[in-house]
Amino acid sequence: MTDADTPATPDDAVADADTADTDTADTPWRRVHPLTPLLQSWQVVAVLLVIAVQNAGEGLLGGDAPGLPGGRGSLIGAAVLAGAALLGGLGGALSWRFTKYRVTADALELHHGVLSRRQRRAPLDRLQAVDIVQPLVGRILGLARLTLEVAGAGDSKIELAYLTEAQARTLRNHLLATAAGLRSDTATPPQVGDAPERYVLEVPFGRLVGSIALSSSVLMPLVIVVGLVVGSLVSGSPGPIAVTLPFLFGTGSIVWKRLTGGFGFRVASAADGVRLRHGMLEQRTQTVPPGRVQAVRLSQPMLWRIPNWWQVEVNVAGYGSSGSNDGSISTSTLLPVGTRDEAVGVLAFVLPMLGVDDAPDSADAVVDAGLTGTRDAGGFTAAPRRARWADPIGWRRRGYRVTDTALLLRRGVLQRELDVVPHARTQSCAVWQGPLQRRLGLASFELHSTPGPVKPTVEHLASDVAAALLDAQTARSRGARTTARDAWLTVTD
Amino acid sequence: MAHGEPFEPADVAFTAVSPRLATARRIATCTTLLVIAAAFAFVALVGEQSWAWVPVLVLVAVALWAAWLIGRQVPAIGYAERDDELLVRTGIMYRRIVVVPYGRLQFVDVQAGPLDRMLGISRVQLHTASAASDASIPGLPPDEAARLRDRLTARGQSNLAGL
Repeated sequence: MTDADTPATPDDAVADADTADTDTADTPWRRVHPLTPLLQSWQVVAVLLVIAVQNAGEGLLGGDAPGLPGGRGSLIGAAVLAGAALLGGLGGALSWRFTKYRVTADALELHHGVLSRRQRRAPLDRLQAVDIVQPLVGRILGLARLTLEVAGAGDSKIELAYLTEAQARTLRNHLLATAAGLRSDTATPPQVGDAPERYVLEVPFGRLVGSIALSSSVLMPLVIVVGLVVGSLVSGSPGPIAVTLPFLFGTGSIVWKRLTGGFGFRVASAADGVRLRHGMLEQRTQTVPPGRVQAVRLSQPMLWRIPNWWQVEVNVAGYGSSGSNDGSISTSTLLPVGTRDEAVGVLAFVLPMLGVDDAPDSADAVVDAGLTGTRDAGGFTAAPRRARWADPIGWRRRGYRVTDTALLLRRGVLQRELDVVPHARTQSCAVWQGPLQRRLGLASFELHSTPGPVKPTVEHLASDVAAALLDAQTARSRGARTTARDAWLTVTD
Repeated sequence: MAHGEPFEPADVAFTAVSPRLATARRIATCTTLLVIAAAFAFVALVGEQSWAWVPVLVLVAVALWAAWLIGRQVPAIGYAERDDELLVRTGIMYRRIVVVPYGRLQFVDVQAGPLDRMLGISRVQLHTASAASDASIPGLPPDEAARLRDRLTARGQSNLAGL
């Protein structure tokens, strides 16, 4: 699948491997696992098998296919099947033959494609995240797919499919270690083990089920279904019950997606980054190195207030805006559901220093004010009272708080949200103002982060406050950028 | 520095874009409207359908209103180069100001369509790693566009700090 839909992007992270440095030229090329073609087209193989079995069954039963004697019909069918299988197998073998990859001291290179050949080279210091994905069949065969994300526009990843599980893990650890600044002089890279995990958090299955049950996209259809069933009972006609079917199917597919995607969700903090693992059928293990998280959002849908659960999402360059608007688990989900303390804990290990310097426990107070506080609690600068004319319900929660390292943006009365963006990760800022806001002397502030679910804004600030924030935030991000570092592991001999 | 108005920073003088942008936008918008209006007028004259004069009047009115609106919008577009960032300001009713630090610049686009080339204007667009930072300056004379492009990329290189 990577052969067909990878657009030619000569300008982002792709370079001809022949121009690579001469000292890396002798790094050996490696091939992906020989079972790869089978795994990539297992659906087709399964369909062919089913047809073959059906055909054989019909042949055994004497065959009553019209126009053809049974025996001959099944014979032709078998021949066609065999031909298709042979062609498919040949194509798969060719594609496998032409796929090779290697890891040099500073880049990962992949060559693939039979007719239109592609060579892609990703510099490791541009690495944003490394994922290992195991589809169901891959798990049975012990194979995994490794994806390396770099921050390009559009499709900017390198996908190695498929490797053995052990190979994929070793390669991931090596890539992360290399990207972190651990250089090896020897031709054969030292085997880097899994970095020890420090803080481990697992989402219990019961809570996952509860979080799905308490989401509006599941509750609303159920309410409608109950209403329709009651209506049908009252009126005595079966019509309304038939209408419930699409609702039930829709809700069922949403529930199924979230349940399988968030099953066994596990967050851990390791030296080489934040590790995520989740999935029931297809299991995905993500590693996001520290400093690659561009923005964090903690949010609480209305009904999650009862158990005080929170969701944590992040912007990581390269993951893109694979939206979680429908609440399903995407690569940008850091924690699908957690208690307040767990969510704040996750925030703390993604952005370790919040830069609040007063008392030791004040960071927690600031975050707390961001999660549930209103007006100027916790040192927040809130929207002025006159903002209630522009936003009668939400104005109390709108506000921001500046710390030494990050900007916290707070909003939402029914669905509470808190965005945290490190100053060093601010791309650009904007202020806008509509006619009503102008009359009220209000303006909205917007901070630009890399594409992702977090879009940090704070609306209806006093316009002079917004102006000051715009000015100060650009200055702060400039200052923070000069001190930000890219290598996060210290070199130890 | 006073912060009274977010759209009028005290230490910055905004440069206006070329008034030829208004001409380009008027031609682009009004041509479509007037072509449709002409089609309706044809129906009214040849087919003797008097109702068809209603859409003609509406379309002409919309075209006039658009021409007036463009005349207000274009002078409101302005940009300013500070030491470390570029400011772009747009709009009268719905005002917006974007601040893009040079160090965050990933690449710069300069585009000019056939109509733009005829009128001698082009559009400079700044791209950061964020899709949201939509900082584009339309209606620059080609010389100014080339100067701005070179200056921005030079500034970007000297201030660059990764993502």
